[in-house]
Amino acid sequence: MENRQINVRNAIRYGDLYTKLSAVVMGLGMIVRKQIVKGIAILLCEIAFLFYMINTGIASLSLMPSLGDRVQEKVWNEAKQIYEYTAGDNSQQILLAGVVTLFVIAAIITLWILQMRHAYKLQKMSEEGKHIPSMKEDIRALFDKNLHITLMSLPCLGILIFNIVPLVYMISMAFTTYSKEGEHLVLFDWDGLNQFGRVLNMNGNIGRQFWHVLGWTVVWAIFATFLNYILGMILAMIINRKDTKGKAFWRFCFVLSIAVPQFVTLMIMNIMLQPSGAVNVLLKNLGWISSPLPFWTNATWARITIIVINLWVGIPYTMLQVTGILQNIPAELYEAAKMDGAGPVKIFFRITLPYMLFVTTPYLIASFVGNINNFNVIYLLSGGGPTYVGDTAGQTDLLVTWLYKLTIDQQYYNLGAVIGIMTFVILTVITLITYRNSSSYKNEEAFM
Amino acid sequence: MAEVVLKHIQKIYPNSEPSKKKKKGDEKPHRMNNLKITEEGVVAVDDFNLEVKDREFIVLVGPSGCGKSTTLRMVAGLEDITRGELYIDGKLMNDIEPKDRDIAMVFQNYALYPHMSVRQNMEFPLELRNIPKDERRRRVEEAAEILGITEYLDRKPKALSGGQRQRVAIGRAIVRDPKLLLMDEPLSNLDAKLRNQMRAEIIKLRQKINSTFMYVTHDQTEAMTLGDRIVIMKDGEIQQIGTPQEVFDQPVNQFVAGFIGMPQMNFYAGKLIITESGRYAVKVGDAVIEVSEEKQQNLKQRNTQPQDITVGVRPEHISLNGRESAMIEGTIDVSEMMGSSVHLHINTLGRDSIIIVPTLELKGRSLSIGSTIRFTFGEDVIHMFDADGLNLEYK
Amino acid sequence: MSTVKVTGKKNRQSTRKLTVNILVHLFLAVLAVIWLLPIFWIVLTSFRAEPGAYTNTFLPQGYTLNNYVKLLTDRNVLNFPKMFGNTLIIAICCCIFSTFFVLSVAYSLSRMRFAFRKPYMNLAMILGLFPGFMTMVAQYFILKAMGLTEGSAIRFGLIIVYSACTGLGFQIAKGYFDTIPRSIDEAAIIDGATQWQVFTRITMPLAKPIVIYTVMTSFIAPWVDFIFAKVICRANADQFTVAIGLWNMLQKEYIYQWYTCFAAGAVLISIPIAALFLYMQRFYVEGMGGAVKG
Repeated sequence: MENRQINVRNAIRYGDLYTKLSAVVMGLGMIVRKQIVKGIAILLCEIAFLFYMINTGIASLSLMPSLGDRVQEKVWNEAKQIYEYTAGDNSQQILLAGVVTLFVIAAIITLWILQMRHAYKLQKMSEEGKHIPSMKEDIRALFDKNLHITLMSLPCLGILIFNIVPLVYMISMAFTTYSKEGEHLVLFDWDGLNQFGRVLNMNGNIGRQFWHVLGWTVVWAIFATFLNYILGMILAMIINRKDTKGKAFWRFCFVLSIAVPQFVTLMIMNIMLQPSGAVNVLLKNLGWISSPLPFWTNATWARITIIVINLWVGIPYTMLQVTGILQNIPAELYEAAKMDGAGPVKIFFRITLPYMLFVTTPYLIASFVGNINNFNVIYLLSGGGPTYVGDTAGQTDLLVTWLYKLTIDQQYYNLGAVIGIMTFVILTVITLITYRNSSSYKNEEAFM
Repeated sequence: MAEVVLKHIQKIYPNSEPSKKKKKGDEKPHRMNNLKITEEGVVAVDDFNLEVKDREFIVLVGPSGCGKSTTLRMVAGLEDITRGELYIDGKLMNDIEPKDRDIAMVFQNYALYPHMSVRQNMEFPLELRNIPKDERRRRVEEAAEILGITEYLDRKPKALSGGQRQRVAIGRAIVRDPKLLLMDEPLSNLDAKLRNQMRAEIIKLRQKINSTFMYVTHDQTEAMTLGDRIVIMKDGEIQQIGTPQEVFDQPVNQFVAGFIGMPQMNFYAGKLIITESGRYAVKVGDAVIEVSEEKQQNLKQRNTQPQDITVGVRPEHISLNGRESAMIEGTIDVSEMMGSSVHLHINTLGRDSIIIVPTLELKGRSLSIGSTIRFTFGEDVIHMFDADGLNLEYK
Repeated sequence: MSTVKVTGKKNRQSTRKLTVNILVHLFLAVLAVIWLLPIFWIVLTSFRAEPGAYTNTFLPQGYTLNNYVKLLTDRNVLNFPKMFGNTLIIAICCCIFSTFFVLSVAYSLSRMRFAFRKPYMNLAMILGLFPGFMTMVAQYFILKAMGLTEGSAIRFGLIIVYSACTGLGFQIAKGYFDTIPRSIDEAAIIDGATQWQVFTRITMPLAKPIVIYTVMTSFIAPWVDFIFAKVICRANADQFTVAIGLWNMLQKEYIYQWYTCFAAGAVLISIPIAALFLYMQRFYVEGMGGAVKG
């Protein structure tokens, strides 16, 4: 009995005429074996693909290397006695069309591989006299053992079109001159790694800002993550204490503050802490200060204020998340520690914290990543400011907010893309290192 | 109503991490947890052959990880069959969906639907088969009657005790009147007393319904009391198939001999010798015991040569009286008074063994710990295993 | 409510215990005040009679309902009711799509085994490490190429942006599904259920908390996001969502006239969202427990 694996190479080598012809006429292998609708659908895909390629695809690809270079021009039309504008190239559209075309080609190749395998499989099934599923059976299978195909197709399509394609598109921008600098907003060219060089070069203006922002981003993420984590846990433990009365009420007070939409509270905080905002007014009325405190205007003040306000935002979240887990800590652990004469502080650092770290490492990593990418808090509170003259990045800007400013405000798209890629690289490295070293990765057995 | 035939059934779990293996270099483990590993993966069940007769009660038994549950799940259709053929009533079932196999299954943790009442739980399989409402009602009530759970029909599973839940799980399985009823360790979540009670219930249930039973357990007592035939498995392979009496009296190898029977069979290092009169005898320590006539025949037929053997004797077959030349000496480590009998843990020839002595026989004997005791065993109760653990009589 | 037994049985140190208790409660009270103060202040501001963002007193001098009236009736400068309508439509659509996406993906990954499963989870993790805003500009260009950035098509654009990638946020739901014993599915399959029936009739009812949680989070998302909405709406004022509207009220040109209205709007939006959130929090806690365990 032949028991060859079903793959494309075998399909081409050992396939019969129809299977081999499927390599050219996609879907043929299915049409001749009574899976007509499926076969025709695949054939239509191939026709649509060819049509697309001839119409626009080939043109888009051919423009990719140059990204277009025809400038829009005024041309005097003798017949009509008017100036006419010739259509110039738009590099950004050319790049997008090129990226999309590449994805379309990848999609058709995937489809081609799948249908080759399927054609070969059908051929084998009919040779072995097995029953070939009909259309109806195929559809039924889509709600039974192939349910994942039914369920996941749309979400995957969404992710492909609105996450992966945009991502590849943005990444490709990092290698171009697409920027307001030097008026490259309409026509731009490939630029190799120059922008990366600019960002990494500590002596240049952009490079200096990059290292500066990176430093603050890491400091911020560490403070924001661990302060929130530990203080939130302590708050949860205080509320959970046996002798604390009105647990539900206290919890409600704190949860209420996160129930209000974050952007609302952050904007209010921003206003309240302005030089003439409510807090300064209150302090002045109380006679504690004579001139307003520089919450947003002094770099150090702004940084501390942001971290403190982030505690206000984050502690209730942590409290909510760890409450359930804290209650899961086996009571015997505490009792044993008490027997051994450990005090509350020792118990916290020797038992509670290690246990929590063990259970919540994935959560901690997620919240660290979330903080590095924490746009809302910075953008709404300080707006990245204060900003020195000549800089694009402010003193409290994170990589993400700087990325936003570079792309949306300044339209330095290539630099923005480079910053995005750098953020990704940094996050990947940090995540991998922490994850590899975390006890839940090293030792999947239970705690204790 | 159904015959089940398993032919050369094999189950291989493919290696999930081939890359990891390569890193370890050339070291090629052939057995992991004593399971065979081939290039394809871990062999969980190997060459399983069994013919289950209509309405038979078959029990698969073995230590954990022996592949008994996997076999059952392959019959159910919850696991793919890697190789081999499964027939139910003569029809090849390998590629048939579980729902089209006309089987029902009872799970170890009951697997009741927590959001449905007992009635809804039991109706669910009927509803999925589009059986009319009246008929459903009738059949649920009938099954509830058999199992004595009529009064709980409108409760949620959460409000039931372990035993009641197990009854509901069985009820859900029998409402459909399946050809084949599969049970995967259904009693192991119950406490000892309930387990005995439910065991009796299952025996009664068998009289009332027409299904064939396949039952998986790790408990040899359950296997012995419930099964018409028992399949004993180890490391994915069948060791022996037979009625409870057969596997008890004629274990084919040392594993079966040790696994069946409580307390475990005692094993001693010994020798098979041929006496001057040309008869087979076993020598344990200095004691020489000639084996019974039947065993002489069995050994002679196989032309068995004298060799080093392991001698197996069940604790209840050991006696304290016998010929002087056949006596073995040991010291008492522990003596457990069980009421009608005493279990003596004895250190003999560097091994621990257990003797069961009826209390009446003990009169006047001193059994203090550390004292020496002499014992022997009858010529017809000796089991002889060769170096590979195979029973010399049935090799 | 069960509590962690931090304190075992101690000897009679009742006075010390009492002081500790009083201190703890005082401490909690102070913290609660700090946490509630900004919320209290914004509610006060929404009733404040004097306009402007900055006043010379902490507490308002006079109280009025005019801020609410103006917010709900003034349709010329910033049309709040219209924005509310826009957001509501988007939120409802988004809620339907996202819930379907999240639960579908989570169920498939938790319950079914297929070749693409592991790669998908790894891919989701990798994509999650890219800053969300990196794709924003490109998403705008793609929507523009599809003609979804002008006029009322913006609504579709926003719905797509909010729901298209939700298939990546399956972790909490998957963690919850993972805690449902597999043998329940197997029992259903042997009882004759198809995978679809297992999904709809067994898993969904059993995962009610996480279904509710998913519905609510996806409903809330369009109300609280202003950044994607801002990039995609640009200057199309009649397509604004509530969040952009509120954001605009704080910009230089509007802040004097609209600040107290902003407070009123914030209160109006916060009440339903806070109610939803408070209802949802126990599902959140349960979901977290599942996800962390998984």
